[in-house]
Amino acid sequence: MSAEDDSSGWQLTESDPGVFSELLKTLGVPMIVDDLYSLDPDTLASLQPLHALIFLFKWIPSSADSSTSTGQYDPDFPGFFAHQVVNNACATLAVLNALGNISSLQTGPQLAELNSFTTGMDPQTRGMVITSADWLREAHNALSPPNAVSLDGLGLPRKSEDAYHFVVYLPIMGAVYELDGLKQYPVRHGPYEDHGEGWLKTAREVIENRIATYPVGALEFSLLALRDDPLPSLLTRLQEVQASGNSAATAEILSQISNEKSKQQRWAFENSLRKHNHVGLIHALLIALAKGGKLSSAQEQAKTIMRARVEKKASGEDMDED
Amino acid sequence: MSETLLAFKAGRAFRRPGTNFIDPRPEKGAITLTNGEDGLLHFTWKDRTSGNVEEDLILFPSDASFVKVSEATGGRVYVLKFSSSDQRHFFWMQDASSARDDEFVDNVNGLLDDPEYTLQWGTTSTQPQASTSAQASSSAPPAFQATPEQLAQLEALLQSAGGQTQASPPDILTPTNLTPLFASHPELIPTLFPHLPPDLPVPPSTEVLGQIINSPQFRSALASFDQALRTGLLGGLVRGLGLPEEAGTGIGPFLNAIQEQAERGGDSMETD
Repeated sequence: MSAEDDSSGWQLTESDPGVFSELLKTLGVPMIVDDLYSLDPDTLASLQPLHALIFLFKWIPSSADSSTSTGQYDPDFPGFFAHQVVNNACATLAVLNALGNISSLQTGPQLAELNSFTTGMDPQTRGMVITSADWLREAHNALSPPNAVSLDGLGLPRKSEDAYHFVVYLPIMGAVYELDGLKQYPVRHGPYEDHGEGWLKTAREVIENRIATYPVGALEFSLLALRDDPLPSLLTRLQEVQASGNSAATAEILSQISNEKSKQQRWAFENSLRKHNHVGLIHALLIALAKGGKLSSAQEQAKTIMRARVEKKASGEDMDED
Repeated sequence: MSETLLAFKAGRAFRRPGTNFIDPRPEKGAITLTNGEDGLLHFTWKDRTSGNVEEDLILFPSDASFVKVSEATGGRVYVLKFSSSDQRHFFWMQDASSARDDEFVDNVNGLLDDPEYTLQWGTTSTQPQASTSAQASSSAPPAFQATPEQLAQLEALLQSAGGQTQASPPDILTPTNLTPLFASHPELIPTLFPHLPPDLPVPPSTEVLGQIINSPQFRSALASFDQALRTGLLGGLVRGLGLPEEAGTGIGPFLNAIQEQAERGGDSMETD
Protein backbone atom coordinates (compact mmCIF):
# COMPACT_ATOMS: atom_id res chain seq x y z
CA MET A 1 0.00 0.00 0.00
CA SER A 2 1.26 3.46 -0.73
CA ALA A 3 2.75 5.25 2.21
CA GLU A 4 1.64 8.68 1.13
CA ASP A 5 -1.56 9.98 2.55
CA ASP A 6 -3.32 11.38 -0.49
CA SER A 7 -6.85 10.73 0.57
CA SER A 8 -8.33 13.36 -1.75
CA GLY A 9 -11.10 13.96 0.73
CA TRP A 10 -12.08 10.27 1.03
CA GLN A 11 -12.27 9.17 4.63
CA LEU A 12 -11.53 5.69 5.81
CA THR A 13 -14.69 3.76 6.62
CA GLU A 14 -15.35 0.60 8.55
CA SER A 15 -15.72 -2.61 6.58
CA ASP A 16 -18.99 -3.48 8.23
CA PRO A 17 -21.95 -5.05 6.38
CA GLY A 18 -24.16 -2.30 7.80
CA VAL A 19 -21.91 0.34 6.28
CA PHE A 20 -21.90 -1.36 2.88
CA SER A 21 -25.65 -1.90 2.93
CA GLU A 22 -26.25 1.75 3.72
CA LEU A 23 -24.04 2.72 0.79
CA LEU A 24 -26.10 0.47 -1.47
CA LYS A 25 -29.26 2.16 -0.26
CA THR A 26 -27.77 5.54 -1.09
CA LEU A 27 -26.87 4.25 -4.55
CA GLY A 28 -30.47 3.20 -5.03
CA VAL A 29 -29.58 -0.48 -5.33
CA PRO A 30 -31.98 -2.94 -3.65
CA MET A 31 -29.21 -5.18 -2.38
CA ILE A 32 -27.47 -5.75 0.92
CA VAL A 33 -24.10 -7.02 2.03
CA ASP A 34 -23.90 -9.76 4.64
CA ASP A 35 -21.05 -11.28 6.57
CA LEU A 36 -20.15 -14.73 5.29
CA TYR A 37 -18.90 -17.11 7.91
CA SER A 38 -18.60 -20.11 5.66
CA LEU A 39 -18.30 -20.94 1.99
CA ASP A 40 -20.14 -24.24 2.24
CA PRO A 41 -22.86 -24.87 -0.34
CA ASP A 42 -25.79 -24.73 2.06
CA THR A 43 -24.78 -21.37 3.50
CA LEU A 44 -24.30 -19.89 0.07
CA ALA A 45 -27.57 -21.37 -1.19
CA SER A 46 -29.46 -19.73 1.64
CA LEU A 47 -28.22 -16.34 0.51
CA GLN A 48 -29.49 -16.57 -3.05
CA PRO A 49 -29.94 -14.50 -5.18
CA LEU A 50 -26.22 -13.95 -4.54
CA HIS A 51 -24.39 -11.67 -6.95
CA ALA A 52 -20.79 -11.38 -5.80
CA LEU A 53 -18.37 -12.41 -3.11
CA ILE A 54 -16.13 -9.79 -1.58
CA PHE A 55 -12.91 -11.00 -0.03
CA LEU A 56 -11.28 -8.46 2.26
CA PHE A 57 -8.00 -8.98 3.93
CA LYS A 58 -5.26 -7.33 5.87
CA TRP A 59 -2.02 -8.80 4.82
CA ILE A 60 0.65 -8.85 7.49
CA PRO A 61 3.87 -8.39 5.57
CA SER A 62 7.01 -10.40 6.27
CA SER A 63 5.07 -13.52 5.45
CA ALA A 64 5.29 -15.29 2.15
CA ASP A 65 4.34 -13.46 -0.97
CA SER A 66 0.63 -13.25 -1.59
CA SER A 67 -1.83 -14.12 -4.28
CA THR A 68 -0.27 -16.40 -6.76
CA SER A 69 -3.26 -16.07 -8.93
CA THR A 70 -4.40 -19.22 -10.61
CA GLY A 71 -6.30 -17.33 -13.24
CA GLN A 72 -5.24 -15.29 -16.21
CA TYR A 73 -5.21 -11.61 -16.81
CA ASP A 74 -7.84 -10.52 -19.30
CA PRO A 75 -6.64 -7.33 -20.97
CA ASP A 76 -9.62 -7.37 -23.32
CA PHE A 77 -12.19 -7.48 -20.56
CA PRO A 78 -15.22 -5.60 -21.92
CA GLY A 79 -17.02 -5.21 -18.61
CA PHE A 80 -16.71 -2.65 -15.83
CA PHE A 81 -13.32 -2.46 -14.12
CA ALA A 82 -11.82 0.53 -12.33
CA HIS A 83 -8.44 0.93 -10.69
CA GLN A 84 -8.16 1.97 -7.07
CA VAL A 85 -6.54 5.39 -7.25
CA VAL A 86 -7.32 6.56 -3.72
CA ASN A 87 -6.65 4.03 -0.97
CA ASN A 88 -9.41 5.20 1.36
CA ALA A 89 -11.98 4.68 -1.37
CA CYS A 90 -11.18 0.96 -1.61
CA ALA A 91 -14.43 -0.32 -0.13
CA THR A 92 -16.67 1.80 -2.35
CA LEU A 93 -14.57 1.00 -5.39
CA ALA A 94 -14.98 -2.72 -4.78
CA VAL A 95 -18.74 -2.31 -4.57
CA LEU A 96 -18.81 -0.33 -7.81
CA ASN A 97 -16.68 -2.91 -9.60
CA ALA A 98 -19.19 -5.55 -8.55
CA LEU A 99 -22.30 -3.53 -9.39
CA GLY A 100 -20.93 -2.43 -12.74
CA ASN A 101 -20.97 -6.01 -13.96
CA ILE A 102 -24.40 -7.10 -12.79
CA SER A 103 -26.78 -7.15 -15.69
CA SER A 104 -30.16 -5.49 -15.40
CA LEU A 105 -29.04 -3.79 -12.22
CA GLN A 106 -31.62 -1.57 -10.62
CA THR A 107 -29.88 1.59 -9.49
CA GLY A 108 -30.46 5.24 -8.73
CA PRO A 109 -29.88 7.85 -11.45
CA GLN A 110 -26.46 9.04 -10.29
CA LEU A 111 -24.87 5.60 -10.40
CA ALA A 112 -26.52 4.84 -13.74
CA GLU A 113 -25.08 8.03 -15.13
CA LEU A 114 -21.63 7.33 -13.72
CA ASN A 115 -21.63 3.86 -15.28
CA SER A 116 -22.69 5.06 -18.69
CA PHE A 117 -20.35 8.06 -18.60
CA THR A 118 -17.36 5.82 -17.97
CA THR A 119 -18.22 3.25 -20.63
CA GLY A 120 -15.21 2.42 -22.75
CA MET A 121 -12.73 4.19 -20.47
CA ASP A 122 -9.54 2.41 -19.46
CA PRO A 123 -9.42 1.22 -15.83
CA GLN A 124 -7.13 4.00 -14.64
CA THR A 125 -9.27 6.78 -16.08
CA ARG A 126 -12.39 5.08 -14.85
CA GLY A 127 -10.93 4.93 -11.35
CA MET A 128 -10.07 8.62 -11.47
CA VAL A 129 -13.50 9.63 -12.69
CA ILE A 130 -15.18 7.59 -9.99
CA THR A 131 -12.97 9.05 -7.28
CA SER A 132 -13.73 12.58 -8.38
CA ALA A 133 -17.47 12.14 -8.22
CA ASP A 134 -18.41 14.47 -5.36
CA TRP A 135 -21.78 12.85 -4.72
CA LEU A 136 -20.13 9.44 -4.40
CA ARG A 137 -17.43 10.68 -2.07
CA GLU A 138 -20.05 12.30 0.12
CA ALA A 139 -22.10 9.12 0.21
CA HIS A 140 -18.95 7.20 1.14
CA ASN A 141 -17.87 9.71 3.82
CA ALA A 142 -21.35 9.89 5.33
CA LEU A 143 -20.62 6.81 7.38
CA SER A 144 -17.35 7.74 8.97
CA PRO A 145 -17.42 9.70 12.21
CA PRO A 146 -17.75 13.45 11.74
CA ASN A 147 -14.76 15.47 12.82
CA ALA A 148 -16.64 16.25 15.98
CA VAL A 149 -13.71 17.75 17.73
CA SER A 150 -12.10 19.39 14.70
CA LEU A 151 -9.00 17.36 15.26
CA ASP A 152 -7.13 18.97 12.37
CA GLY A 153 -4.38 21.24 13.47
CA LEU A 154 -4.37 19.94 17.02
CA GLY A 155 -1.37 17.80 16.26
CA LEU A 156 -3.04 14.62 17.41
CA PRO A 157 -1.68 11.40 16.05
CA ARG A 158 -4.01 9.77 13.58
CA LYS A 159 -4.86 6.34 14.85
CA SER A 160 -3.24 3.96 12.45
CA GLU A 161 -6.37 2.70 10.78
CA ASP A 162 -6.52 -0.87 9.66
CA ALA A 163 -6.33 -0.75 5.91
CA TYR A 164 -8.07 -3.67 4.30
CA HIS A 165 -7.72 -4.68 0.70
CA PHE A 166 -10.83 -5.71 -1.21
CA VAL A 167 -11.16 -8.21 -4.02
CA VAL A 168 -14.44 -9.01 -5.76
CA TYR A 169 -15.36 -12.37 -7.29
CA LEU A 170 -18.38 -12.64 -9.55
CA PRO A 171 -19.65 -14.34 -12.70
CA ILE A 172 -19.36 -12.35 -15.92
CA MET A 173 -20.12 -13.75 -19.36
CA GLY A 174 -19.83 -17.35 -18.30
CA ALA A 175 -16.59 -17.11 -16.32
CA VAL A 176 -15.67 -16.33 -12.74
CA TYR A 177 -13.72 -13.08 -12.64
CA GLU A 178 -11.59 -11.61 -9.92
CA LEU A 179 -11.70 -7.79 -9.83
CA ASP A 180 -8.84 -6.29 -7.84
CA GLY A 181 -8.48 -2.52 -8.11
CA LEU A 182 -4.75 -2.76 -7.48
CA LYS A 183 -4.13 -5.21 -10.32
CA GLN A 184 -3.73 -4.02 -13.84
CA TYR A 185 -6.48 -6.16 -15.35
CA PRO A 186 -9.33 -8.36 -14.19
CA VAL A 187 -8.34 -11.99 -13.65
CA ARG A 188 -10.36 -14.68 -15.38
CA HIS A 189 -10.67 -17.88 -13.38
CA GLY A 190 -12.20 -20.00 -16.05
CA PRO A 191 -15.72 -21.04 -16.96
CA TYR A 192 -18.14 -22.58 -14.52
CA GLU A 193 -20.77 -25.24 -14.78
CA ASP A 194 -24.25 -23.94 -15.15
CA HIS A 195 -25.96 -26.51 -12.99
CA GLY A 196 -25.85 -27.11 -9.26
CA GLU A 197 -23.91 -24.45 -7.46
CA GLY A 198 -22.85 -22.77 -10.66
CA TRP A 199 -20.24 -20.07 -10.35
CA LEU A 200 -20.06 -20.32 -6.58
CA LYS A 201 -18.29 -23.65 -6.77
CA THR A 202 -15.47 -22.18 -8.84
CA ALA A 203 -15.34 -19.04 -6.71
CA ARG A 204 -15.10 -21.08 -3.54
CA GLU A 205 -12.19 -23.10 -4.89
CA VAL A 206 -10.31 -20.02 -6.00
CA ILE A 207 -10.79 -18.27 -2.67
CA GLU A 208 -9.90 -21.30 -0.58
CA ASN A 209 -6.75 -21.84 -2.63
CA ARG A 210 -5.83 -18.24 -2.14
CA ILE A 211 -6.27 -18.42 1.63
CA ALA A 212 -4.14 -21.55 1.72
CA THR A 213 -1.17 -19.80 0.14
CA TYR A 214 -0.66 -17.66 3.24
CA PRO A 215 1.12 -19.02 6.31
CA VAL A 216 -1.30 -19.83 9.09
CA GLY A 217 -2.09 -16.71 11.09
CA ALA A 218 -0.49 -14.32 8.61
CA LEU A 219 -3.75 -13.27 7.06
CA GLU A 220 -6.67 -11.49 8.66
CA PHE A 221 -9.61 -11.75 6.34
CA SER A 222 -13.36 -11.55 6.02
CA LEU A 223 -15.82 -12.59 3.40
CA LEU A 224 -18.87 -10.65 2.41
CA ALA A 225 -21.77 -11.55 0.18
CA LEU A 226 -23.47 -9.03 -2.12
CA ARG A 227 -27.03 -10.22 -2.48
CA ASP A 228 -30.57 -9.11 -3.11
CA ASP A 229 -32.25 -7.58 -0.09
CA PRO A 230 -34.31 -10.56 1.08
CA LEU A 231 -37.08 -8.59 2.76
CA PRO A 232 -39.26 -7.76 -0.26
CA SER A 233 -39.40 -11.38 -1.46
CA LEU A 234 -39.91 -12.66 2.07
CA LEU A 235 -42.89 -10.38 2.45
CA THR A 236 -44.32 -11.57 -0.85
CA ARG A 237 -43.89 -15.19 0.18
CA LEU A 238 -45.53 -14.43 3.50
CA GLN A 239 -48.67 -13.31 1.76
CA GLU A 240 -48.65 -16.46 -0.35
CA VAL A 241 -48.30 -18.90 2.52
CA GLN A 242 -50.77 -17.00 4.64
CA ALA A 243 -53.27 -17.25 1.79
CA SER A 244 -52.58 -20.95 1.49
CA GLY A 245 -53.31 -21.41 5.19
CA ASN A 246 -50.08 -23.31 5.88
CA SER A 247 -49.40 -22.29 9.45
CA ALA A 248 -46.03 -24.04 9.76
CA ALA A 249 -44.69 -22.34 6.67
CA THR A 250 -46.18 -19.05 7.85
CA ALA A 251 -44.42 -19.31 11.17
CA GLU A 252 -41.16 -20.14 9.42
CA ILE A 253 -41.37 -17.15 7.11
CA LEU A 254 -42.38 -14.86 9.96
CA SER A 255 -39.33 -15.97 11.88
CA GLN A 256 -37.04 -15.28 8.92
CA ILE A 257 -38.60 -11.86 8.44
CA SER A 258 -38.17 -11.07 12.09
CA ASN A 259 -34.48 -12.05 12.03
CA GLU A 260 -33.83 -10.05 8.89
CA LYS A 261 -35.60 -6.98 10.23
CA SER A 262 -33.79 -6.98 13.53
CA LYS A 263 -30.46 -7.37 11.76
CA GLN A 264 -31.22 -4.41 9.49
CA GLN A 265 -32.44 -2.36 12.40
CA ARG A 266 -29.23 -3.07 14.25
CA TRP A 267 -27.37 -1.78 11.18
CA ALA A 268 -29.50 1.37 11.15
CA PHE A 269 -28.83 1.89 14.86
CA GLU A 270 -25.06 1.51 14.45
CA ASN A 271 -25.01 3.74 11.36
CA SER A 272 -26.86 6.52 13.17
CA LEU A 273 -24.22 6.33 15.91
CA ARG A 274 -21.45 6.41 13.31
CA LYS A 275 -22.76 9.59 11.75
CA HIS A 276 -23.49 11.36 15.00
CA ASN A 277 -21.40 14.06 16.68
CA HIS A 278 -21.28 12.79 20.26
CA VAL A 279 -19.75 15.84 21.90
CA GLY A 280 -23.15 17.18 22.94
CA LEU A 281 -24.02 13.87 24.61
CA ILE A 282 -20.65 13.71 26.36
CA HIS A 283 -21.24 17.20 27.71
CA ALA A 284 -24.83 16.46 28.75
CA LEU A 285 -23.82 13.26 30.56
CA LEU A 286 -21.17 15.09 32.57
CA ILE A 287 -23.65 17.84 33.44
CA ALA A 288 -26.13 15.19 34.54
CA LEU A 289 -23.52 13.60 36.79
CA ALA A 290 -22.78 17.01 38.28
CA LYS A 291 -26.44 17.81 38.82
CA GLY A 292 -26.90 14.46 40.48
CA GLY A 293 -24.07 15.35 42.83
CA LYS A 294 -22.00 12.45 41.55
CA LEU A 295 -19.34 14.13 39.44
CA SER A 296 -16.82 14.59 42.23
CA SER A 297 -16.93 11.01 43.37
CA ALA A 298 -16.76 9.80 39.78
CA GLN A 299 -13.70 12.01 39.29
CA GLU A 300 -12.02 10.56 42.36
CA GLN A 301 -12.71 7.01 41.24
CA ALA A 302 -11.42 7.83 37.77
CA LYS A 303 -8.20 9.22 39.23
CA THR A 304 -7.69 5.99 41.14
CA ILE A 305 -8.25 3.99 37.98
CA MET A 306 -5.78 6.17 36.10
CA ARG A 307 -3.20 5.94 38.86
CA ALA A 308 -3.46 2.16 38.88
CA ARG A 309 -3.15 2.10 35.11
CA VAL A 310 -0.03 4.28 35.15
CA GLU A 311 1.54 2.23 37.92
CA LYS A 312 0.89 -0.94 35.98
CA LYS A 313 2.58 0.53 32.94
CA ALA A 314 5.49 1.73 34.99
CA SER A 315 5.99 -1.71 36.43
CA GLY A 316 5.98 -3.10 32.92
CA GLU A 317 3.00 -5.41 33.26
CA ASP A 318 1.07 -6.31 30.17
CA MET A 319 -1.97 -4.10 29.84
CA ASP A 320 -5.15 -4.86 28.04
CA GLU A 321 -6.14 -2.05 25.73
CA ASP A 322 -9.42 -0.68 27.00
CA MET B 1 19.75 0.65 19.38
CA SER B 2 18.33 3.97 20.33
CA GLU B 3 16.78 5.98 17.55
CA THR B 4 16.36 9.76 17.48
CA LEU B 5 12.86 10.62 16.36
CA LEU B 6 13.08 14.37 16.36
CA ALA B 7 15.10 17.24 17.78
CA PHE B 8 14.84 21.00 17.90
CA LYS B 9 16.56 23.91 19.58
CA ALA B 10 15.13 24.86 22.95
CA GLY B 11 16.22 26.38 26.23
CA ARG B 12 14.92 25.61 29.70
CA ALA B 13 12.96 27.77 32.09
CA PHE B 14 12.33 27.32 35.80
CA ARG B 15 9.77 28.51 38.30
CA ARG B 16 11.13 31.15 40.65
CA PRO B 17 10.63 29.58 44.09
CA GLY B 18 7.72 30.98 46.00
CA THR B 19 6.28 32.70 42.95
CA ASN B 20 4.52 31.93 39.73
CA PHE B 21 7.24 33.54 37.64
CA ILE B 22 9.06 31.44 35.12
CA ASP B 23 12.65 32.48 34.50
CA PRO B 24 14.28 31.31 31.29
CA ARG B 25 17.88 30.20 31.42
CA PRO B 26 20.16 31.38 28.63
CA GLU B 27 21.96 28.11 27.87
CA LYS B 28 21.61 26.97 24.28
CA GLY B 29 20.05 23.56 24.25
CA ALA B 30 18.00 21.05 22.34
CA ILE B 31 15.01 18.86 23.02
CA THR B 32 15.27 15.39 21.59
CA LEU B 33 12.76 12.58 21.46
CA THR B 34 14.34 9.16 21.23
CA ASN B 35 13.23 5.56 21.16
CA GLY B 36 15.63 4.27 23.76
CA GLU B 37 17.41 0.96 23.91
CA ASP B 38 15.03 0.14 26.73
CA GLY B 39 12.17 0.32 24.26
CA LEU B 40 10.77 3.43 25.93
CA LEU B 41 10.29 6.97 24.69
CA HIS B 42 12.89 9.40 26.08
CA PHE B 43 12.39 13.16 26.19
CA THR B 44 15.83 14.67 26.73
CA TRP B 45 17.26 18.14 27.02
CA LYS B 46 20.90 18.60 26.26
CA ASP B 47 23.17 21.58 26.52
CA ARG B 48 24.38 22.31 22.99
CA THR B 49 27.52 24.00 24.26
CA SER B 50 28.77 21.24 26.54
CA GLY B 51 27.03 18.42 24.72
CA ASN B 52 25.80 17.02 28.03
CA VAL B 53 22.37 15.56 28.44
CA GLU B 54 21.03 17.37 31.48
CA GLU B 55 17.52 15.93 31.55
CA ASP B 56 16.33 12.49 30.49
CA LEU B 57 12.66 11.83 31.02
CA ILE B 58 11.01 8.51 30.26
CA LEU B 59 7.50 9.00 28.96
CA PHE B 60 4.66 6.53 28.83
CA PRO B 61 2.04 6.82 26.10
CA SER B 62 -0.64 9.46 26.81
CA ASP B 63 1.03 10.42 30.06
CA ALA B 64 2.48 13.74 28.96
CA SER B 65 1.66 16.65 26.73
CA PHE B 66 3.67 19.60 25.43
CA VAL B 67 1.58 22.71 25.57
CA LYS B 68 2.17 26.36 24.76
CA VAL B 69 2.08 28.66 27.76
CA SER B 70 -0.24 31.26 26.33
CA GLU B 71 0.32 33.63 29.23
CA ALA B 72 3.91 34.09 28.12
CA THR B 73 3.26 36.81 25.61
CA GLY B 74 6.20 37.62 23.36
CA GLY B 75 7.96 34.38 24.20
CA ARG B 76 7.66 30.97 22.68
CA VAL B 77 7.37 29.11 25.93
CA TYR B 78 6.07 25.57 26.31
CA VAL B 79 5.45 23.30 29.25
CA LEU B 80 5.80 19.53 29.38
CA LYS B 81 3.16 18.34 31.80
CA PHE B 82 2.09 14.94 33.04
CA SER B 83 -1.17 13.29 33.91
CA SER B 84 0.57 10.98 36.35
CA SER B 85 2.35 13.60 38.43
CA ASP B 86 2.56 17.34 39.02
CA GLN B 87 5.93 17.65 37.34
CA ARG B 88 6.23 20.66 35.08
CA HIS B 89 9.15 21.28 32.73
CA PHE B 90 9.28 24.62 30.96
CA PHE B 91 11.12 25.26 27.70
CA TRP B 92 11.48 28.10 25.25
CA MET B 93 12.07 27.81 21.50
CA GLN B 94 15.53 28.87 20.45
CA ASP B 95 15.39 28.64 16.72
CA ALA B 96 15.54 32.15 15.29
CA SER B 97 12.47 31.52 13.20
CA SER B 98 9.19 30.50 14.78
CA ALA B 99 7.88 29.20 11.48
CA ARG B 100 8.33 25.57 12.46
CA ASP B 101 7.28 25.80 16.11
CA ASP B 102 3.84 24.35 15.48
CA GLU B 103 5.24 21.59 13.34
CA PHE B 104 7.68 20.46 16.01
CA VAL B 105 5.11 20.74 18.78
CA ASP B 106 2.50 18.79 16.83
CA ASN B 107 4.97 16.01 16.24
CA VAL B 108 6.10 16.02 19.86
CA ASN B 109 2.54 15.61 21.05
CA GLY B 110 1.97 12.91 18.49
CA LEU B 111 4.88 10.92 19.86
CA LEU B 112 3.94 11.61 23.47
CA ASP B 113 0.63 10.05 22.82
CA ASP B 114 1.87 7.15 20.75
CA PRO B 115 5.55 6.39 20.28
CA GLU B 116 4.67 4.73 16.98
CA TYR B 117 3.22 7.99 15.69
CA THR B 118 4.11 8.77 12.08
CA LEU B 119 5.81 12.14 12.06
CA GLN B 120 4.34 14.75 9.77
CA TRP B 121 6.70 17.27 8.27
CA GLY B 122 6.08 19.99 5.79
CA THR B 123 2.40 20.28 6.67
CA THR B 124 0.68 23.58 6.21
CA SER B 125 0.20 24.24 9.88
CA THR B 126 2.33 27.36 9.86
CA GLN B 127 0.38 30.44 10.72
CA PRO B 128 1.69 33.97 10.48
CA GLN B 129 3.37 34.71 13.76
CA ALA B 130 1.81 37.74 15.34
CA SER B 131 4.78 38.91 17.28
CA THR B 132 7.66 40.06 15.11
CA SER B 133 9.85 41.25 17.93
CA ALA B 134 10.20 37.70 19.13
CA GLN B 135 12.04 36.76 15.95
CA ALA B 136 14.70 39.41 16.38
CA SER B 137 15.46 38.71 19.98
CA SER B 138 14.83 35.02 20.23
CA SER B 139 18.44 34.07 20.70
CA ALA B 140 18.39 35.95 23.96
CA PRO B 141 16.23 34.44 26.66
CA PRO B 142 12.85 36.13 26.78
CA ALA B 143 12.02 37.73 30.09
CA PHE B 144 8.37 38.02 30.82
CA GLN B 145 6.14 38.86 33.65
CA ALA B 146 2.49 38.03 33.78
CA THR B 147 -0.36 40.41 34.54
CA PRO B 148 -2.51 39.48 37.55
CA GLU B 149 -5.08 37.80 35.33
CA GLN B 150 -2.41 35.90 33.45
CA LEU B 151 -0.85 34.88 36.74
CA ALA B 152 -4.13 33.41 37.84
CA GLN B 153 -4.40 31.48 34.61
CA LEU B 154 -0.83 30.33 34.85
CA GLU B 155 -1.42 29.18 38.39
CA ALA B 156 -4.45 27.23 37.24
CA LEU B 157 -2.34 25.70 34.52
CA LEU B 158 0.40 24.79 36.95
CA GLN B 159 -1.98 23.25 39.39
CA SER B 160 -4.35 21.65 36.96
CA ALA B 161 -3.12 18.22 37.93
CA GLY B 162 -3.29 19.16 41.57
CA GLY B 163 -0.39 16.82 42.22
CA GLN B 164 -2.66 13.89 41.43
CA THR B 165 -3.43 11.85 38.39
CA GLN B 166 -6.08 13.06 36.00
CA ALA B 167 -9.66 11.89 35.94
CA SER B 168 -10.34 11.26 32.30
CA PRO B 169 -13.84 11.43 30.79
CA PRO B 170 -13.75 7.84 29.48
CA ASP B 171 -13.19 6.64 33.05
CA ILE B 172 -15.94 8.91 34.36
CA LEU B 173 -18.65 8.09 31.85
CA THR B 174 -18.83 4.39 32.60
CA PRO B 175 -21.90 2.23 33.23
CA THR B 176 -20.66 1.85 36.81
CA ASN B 177 -21.15 5.56 37.33
CA LEU B 178 -24.06 6.23 35.04
CA THR B 179 -26.44 3.36 35.82
CA PRO B 180 -26.85 4.38 39.47
CA LEU B 181 -27.30 7.99 38.35
CA PHE B 182 -30.16 7.05 36.05
CA ALA B 183 -31.74 5.07 38.86
CA SER B 184 -31.46 7.75 41.50
CA HIS B 185 -32.22 10.74 39.28
CA PRO B 186 -34.65 9.57 36.60
CA GLU B 187 -35.67 13.18 35.97
CA LEU B 188 -32.26 13.77 34.40
CA ILE B 189 -32.75 11.13 31.73
CA PRO B 190 -34.97 13.18 29.41
CA THR B 191 -32.33 15.94 29.44
CA LEU B 192 -30.10 13.53 27.55
CA PHE B 193 -32.55 12.62 24.80
CA PRO B 194 -32.07 15.77 22.72
CA HIS B 195 -28.39 14.81 22.37
CA LEU B 196 -29.03 11.39 20.88
CA PRO B 197 -28.78 10.91 17.10
CA PRO B 198 -31.85 12.44 15.47
CA ASP B 199 -32.18 9.50 13.07
CA LEU B 200 -32.05 6.77 15.70
CA PRO B 201 -34.38 4.02 14.45
CA VAL B 202 -35.80 3.37 17.89
CA PRO B 203 -37.40 5.77 20.36
CA PRO B 204 -35.11 7.09 23.09
CA SER B 205 -35.22 5.27 26.40
CA THR B 206 -32.99 4.52 29.35
CA GLU B 207 -32.13 1.16 27.83
CA VAL B 208 -31.20 2.72 24.49
CA LEU B 209 -29.11 5.28 26.35
CA GLY B 210 -27.21 2.44 27.99
CA GLN B 211 -26.63 0.73 24.63
CA ILE B 212 -25.30 3.95 23.16
CA ILE B 213 -22.97 4.64 26.07
CA ASN B 214 -21.52 1.15 25.67
CA SER B 215 -21.34 1.27 21.87
CA PRO B 216 -17.94 1.21 20.14
CA GLN B 217 -18.90 4.40 18.29
CA PHE B 218 -19.55 6.35 21.49
CA ARG B 219 -16.50 4.98 23.30
CA SER B 220 -14.36 5.90 20.33
CA ALA B 221 -15.77 9.44 20.21
CA LEU B 222 -15.15 9.70 23.95
CA ALA B 223 -11.54 8.62 23.56
CA SER B 224 -10.99 11.18 20.78
CA PHE B 225 -12.54 13.89 22.91
CA ASP B 226 -10.35 12.96 25.87
CA GLN B 227 -7.27 13.04 23.69
CA ALA B 228 -8.19 16.41 22.22
CA LEU B 229 -8.96 17.87 25.63
CA ARG B 230 -5.52 16.92 26.89
CA THR B 231 -3.90 19.10 24.24
CA GLY B 232 -5.41 22.06 26.04
CA LEU B 233 -6.51 23.53 22.74
CA LEU B 234 -10.28 23.13 22.88
CA GLY B 235 -11.11 26.69 23.94
CA GLY B 236 -13.14 27.31 20.81
CA LEU B 237 -15.07 24.07 20.99
CA VAL B 238 -16.06 24.36 24.64
CA ARG B 239 -17.42 27.86 24.07
CA GLY B 240 -19.96 26.20 21.82
CA LEU B 241 -21.06 24.22 24.86
CA GLY B 242 -21.66 27.40 26.84
CA LEU B 243 -18.43 27.01 28.79
CA PRO B 244 -15.68 29.61 29.22
CA GLU B 245 -12.69 29.31 26.91
CA GLU B 246 -10.49 28.36 29.84
CA ALA B 247 -12.45 25.14 30.14
CA GLY B 248 -10.75 23.96 26.96
CA THR B 249 -7.26 24.10 28.39
CA GLY B 250 -7.31 20.70 30.03
CA ILE B 251 -9.28 17.99 31.75
CA GLY B 252 -9.18 19.61 35.19
CA PRO B 253 -10.42 23.03 34.02
CA PHE B 254 -13.03 21.33 31.86
CA LEU B 255 -14.50 19.28 34.69
CA ASN B 256 -14.43 22.25 37.04
CA ALA B 257 -16.30 24.33 34.51
CA ILE B 258 -18.86 21.54 34.12
CA GLN B 259 -19.44 21.52 37.86
CA GLU B 260 -20.00 25.27 37.86
CA GLN B 261 -22.26 25.14 34.84
CA ALA B 262 -24.38 22.45 36.50
CA GLU B 263 -24.66 24.50 39.67
CA ARG B 264 -25.78 27.50 37.67
CA GLY B 265 -28.56 25.23 36.41
CA GLY B 266 -27.09 25.58 32.96
CA ASP B 267 -28.34 23.37 30.23
CA SER B 268 -26.35 25.03 27.52
CA MET B 269 -27.61 25.86 24.10
CA GLU B 270 -25.35 23.70 22.03
CA THR B 271 -24.19 25.05 18.74
CA ASP B 272 -23.48 22.57 16.03
